[in-house]
Amino acid sequence: MTDDFSSLPTNLREALRRAALDFPHRGIAIFDSRGRSCDRRSYAELFELATESAARFAGLGVGRDEPVLVALPTSWEWMEAWFGLLMRGAWPVASSGAGAMAAAEAQFDKVDKVMAVIGARQVVASEAFRAQAGEQGFRFATGGVITIERLRGAAPATRGAAATGVSDGGDVAFLQLTSGSTGLPRAVMITHQGAIHNPVASDEAIGAPFGEPMHRLAECMVSWLPLYHDMGLIGCLMLPMLCGLDSWLLRPEAFLARPRLWLEHLGSHGVSFAPAPNFGYQLCVERIPADKREGLDLGAWRAAFTGAEMVRPETTGAFCAAFEPHGFRPESLRPCYGLAEGTLAVTFDVKGSGVRTLPAPSGTDAGFAMTDVVSNGVPIRDTSLRMTAPDGSVLPEGAIGEVCIKGPGVFRGYYRDPEATAATLKNGWFSTGDLGFVADGELYLTGRTKDLLIVHGHNIMPDDIERLADSVTGGGGLLRSAAFSVARGAAGEQAVVVVETADSNPERLAEIGREIRVRIGRTMGLPLADLVFVRRGRIPRTTSGKMQRGELRQHYLNGTLERLHDGPTHETAPHDAGTEPRP
Amino acid sequence: MNLMETTLAAIARVSKVDVAGIRADMDLVADLGFDSAKALELLVELEEALGIEISDEQAARLNSVGDILAIVETMGPSTQPPPPRG
Repeated sequence: MTDDFSSLPTNLREALRRAALDFPHRGIAIFDSRGRSCDRRSYAELFELATESAARFAGLGVGRDEPVLVALPTSWEWMEAWFGLLMRGAWPVASSGAGAMAAAEAQFDKVDKVMAVIGARQVVASEAFRAQAGEQGFRFATGGVITIERLRGAAPATRGAAATGVSDGGDVAFLQLTSGSTGLPRAVMITHQGAIHNPVASDEAIGAPFGEPMHRLAECMVSWLPLYHDMGLIGCLMLPMLCGLDSWLLRPEAFLARPRLWLEHLGSHGVSFAPAPNFGYQLCVERIPADKREGLDLGAWRAAFTGAEMVRPETTGAFCAAFEPHGFRPESLRPCYGLAEGTLAVTFDVKGSGVRTLPAPSGTDAGFAMTDVVSNGVPIRDTSLRMTAPDGSVLPEGAIGEVCIKGPGVFRGYYRDPEATAATLKNGWFSTGDLGFVADGELYLTGRTKDLLIVHGHNIMPDDIERLADSVTGGGGLLRSAAFSVARGAAGEQAVVVVETADSNPERLAEIGREIRVRIGRTMGLPLADLVFVRRGRIPRTTSGKMQRGELRQHYLNGTLERLHDGPTHETAPHDAGTEPRP
Repeated sequence: MNLMETTLAAIARVSKVDVAGIRADMDLVADLGFDSAKALELLVELEEALGIEISDEQAARLNSVGDILAIVETMGPSTQPPPPRG
């Protein structure tokens, strides 16, 4: 079985082969976009599908170690492409496809940027995606798109030409996209070893309260997380495949439209477990009111993980209160911590006694609005954790510092970005940019050193927001903006933009403010919790001109930022309604 | 309630903005604070209330209150019962 760490598969191709042989009755069930009908196939069928498409990718000239994007929704087409590339020995790169509320043009733009950054020649996408991108003049649409139809129509390469060679565990298996600080995406190099060890060690940690690895106890994983997110790909696809479990996959849109679907399936396919960001649990509380909870039976859901964004005790408490009468066990709700650069998991709660907190110590980021900080548990097998001071020295237990991790899951570096790699990865230790402390061996998060917004589990670099805001003209010259996030109770982090302007005409500022909101909304699907105009020079900068977003955010939180114009900012504070009183 | 009233009531409920304050030229994200979760909540509510089905492609083009009113007018309400929920 898969809990013998001395006999793990050496690479992911072998892992899929083993799954096909060892777990003939297990497989993956994928729901349609509405979450109604589902198409279930076994790991053996996935292996056949992937082997065939690997030969066709080779026939199309896709080479070994060549990065190829996969911009498809959660579907069997996605599996055919991603696993086909993997079996070919190429590097699949899962990228977000078009989703609700995000302009198609923004998706094309992102694909275009990613391809340039990682030097990819091809993206696997739908014919509609190709045609629309072509109409809008994106270069990759001409010859750079492998549609599923083209893939299926391609002549498979002969066995010799399609040979992949044997991958060592330390070789790169695929690239995981994350946000880079320059506004360009970054590609995290994930090794075969990381992609195998991390989920299997997670299975061990998840099962800890039950005294055995989770796969001995469970039948399935039920997920709505996108497959271009590390928690979706590693946690909800690799883990079940490596551990011989069924994987039930809903599209994110199906969950957002009807959150109850996730809970229905968690209760109806045998003993189950599933992760989600805090926002997913909050959505269940808000969108499944008491009268809609009737008929849910969550007794089979034995481990409910919360990670990928700050865990909020008010959310976990509300979720337990709402669903305990329907069989949910509060001790099943367990925080975890991880990130793409660690393949996925770093720590897990292994006690299984419910969400445990400590009073937030002084030094906890006020912008996260937390009176208590949550234990994220202990590192998974073979993984170490330490907190460091800004000068790099290692801090004792209890002291707040930057969270640094080391272990088999730690990535090989950012692809084609040696500077960013050297800045964060030293002697095997990765500096995460998160702040926290260790108490009794358990990790508590208190803030962040990096300029990053995490909204609904998605990482957003402030540069991406600022570029859109700065592109709005008017108001007597160029605008210069700064973006950061603040948390409002259970709603979690929300975006705030501060804009420097020489203009002071309230009507013009209101117009500019709306244009900024529209541009950010249409491109990123991101509503702003607040938009503040300030005089030129009020955004703090270092002597070398580098923007100090942290300091600006502190002014904002302290109320010491002098607003030029309040505009429409307080009329439509979007998320807080219903969860806490209006300001 | 007629078609427009039903639609506006749904937008008001999801955005938690008073129905009297909703205008056709309002942008869903910029003016009403919609994110993708709220957008999908609204689509489901409209589909169920009006017995229509809005495709992913149509949904991707909805930016304003006016866009929603326009699409709802062309589609419904149908005389068919709402599709079964899964």
